[in-house]
Amino acid sequence: MRRDERFAAVARDDGIRKISKFTWRAGAIGVAGSALIAVAFGHHVAAQPGRDSGNHSGQGTIVVPAQPPAPAHGAGQVTSGAS
Amino acid sequence: MTAAVAAGSDTFSVFGTTAALLLSEPGRLEAARAVADAELAAVDRACSRFRPDSELSRLNAAGGAITSVSELFAELIEAALRAARLTAGDVDPTCGQALEEIGYDRDFAVLRAAGGAAPRRGRPTGTVPGWRNVHLDRARRLVQLAGGAQLDLGATAKAWAADRCAEIIAAKVDSGVLVSLGGDIAVAGPAPADGWRVRVTDDHAAGPEAPGQTVTIRSGGLATSSTTVRTWALGGRRVHHIIDPATGEPARSCWRTVSVAAGCCVDANTASTAAIIRGEAAVSWLRDAGLPARLVREDGSAQITAGWPRDPGPAERA
Repeated sequence: MRRDERFAAVARDDGIRKISKFTWRAGAIGVAGSALIAVAFGHHVAAQPGRDSGNHSGQGTIVVPAQPPAPAHGAGQVTSGAS
Repeated sequence: MTAAVAAGSDTFSVFGTTAALLLSEPGRLEAARAVADAELAAVDRACSRFRPDSELSRLNAAGGAITSVSELFAELIEAALRAARLTAGDVDPTCGQALEEIGYDRDFAVLRAAGGAAPRRGRPTGTVPGWRNVHLDRARRLVQLAGGAQLDLGATAKAWAADRCAEIIAAKVDSGVLVSLGGDIAVAGPAPADGWRVRVTDDHAAGPEAPGQTVTIRSGGLATSSTTVRTWALGGRRVHHIIDPATGEPARSCWRTVSVAAGCCVDANTASTAAIIRGEAAVSWLRDAGLPARLVREDGSAQITAGWPRDPGPAERA
């Protein structure tokens, strides 16, 4: 009876070790896989416009004019209208 | 024709519209024109929707395949995507299919000569695929159109080309310059003493004294968008070319014409187009962004924002 109990305890400890080892390996594989995916596709994310990619000389807004239009009289040299 | 009354000026046809070139150093006009011709031809080869040999046509026909593009075309796409991002998608470069569905499937002069387009067959898609379906790998100059997207760079390419021409001409011929491409105006280099005089009106082809307002600019760009000019008959109704990406249909706006001044022409045109689509909400948006603008309602009354000069004319209301 006592032999059976010892055998059971050893088997339990062995099972726990195996589960623990499996869990750690699965975790490590998951981390490594995530890193690989990030490396493989990271440049696509960075290159996609509209995600703060910093394209266009870092212009994140529509640029206002250095000075607003000034009033004038008479005809224009050119016309700004739709085409 | 676009009015170009100053010495050192030239007008010519390009992109199915009228271009004007003004120089503060009149003797350098010929050299400036040569630069403009070369640059505009390159832009047309890159992004014309009506040339089967353009890069844009080839990309649209690629069926979603990753496509290698030229540096110039990559820059044009980048500018279009930036406009989409800055307007939360209101100015969207994937309106190509929507424009074709309302009959704008050929050069506008041809469309106009035909008296309009036949009523469309089949059901409208209702929306555009959206600019996030355009995947641009800027470093490797690779583009992929996902989700059935079809590019149309009409909302940004002309203004972008005006900026590019102005910058290059100012640098190469050492003169102040104004470039107008169908009313999308960019200036660079030293301006004349009293600035460049621009008549702001509905139609760029109207004369220099057409109803509107005259202002002067010294730098950056000025652009006007309108629902009144590039229009055609579709079945029993009139449609125009400014597509609301939310509906895939011509925008129904309280504004007939919006003019905006900005740091460059493509930004000005981005804002003026977005304002047409946003309707009443455009006023606070432009004001918050600090963009001087003139917004004209259907009845001709105008509203201004952010330092745009008041029009002394009776039709204007500040």
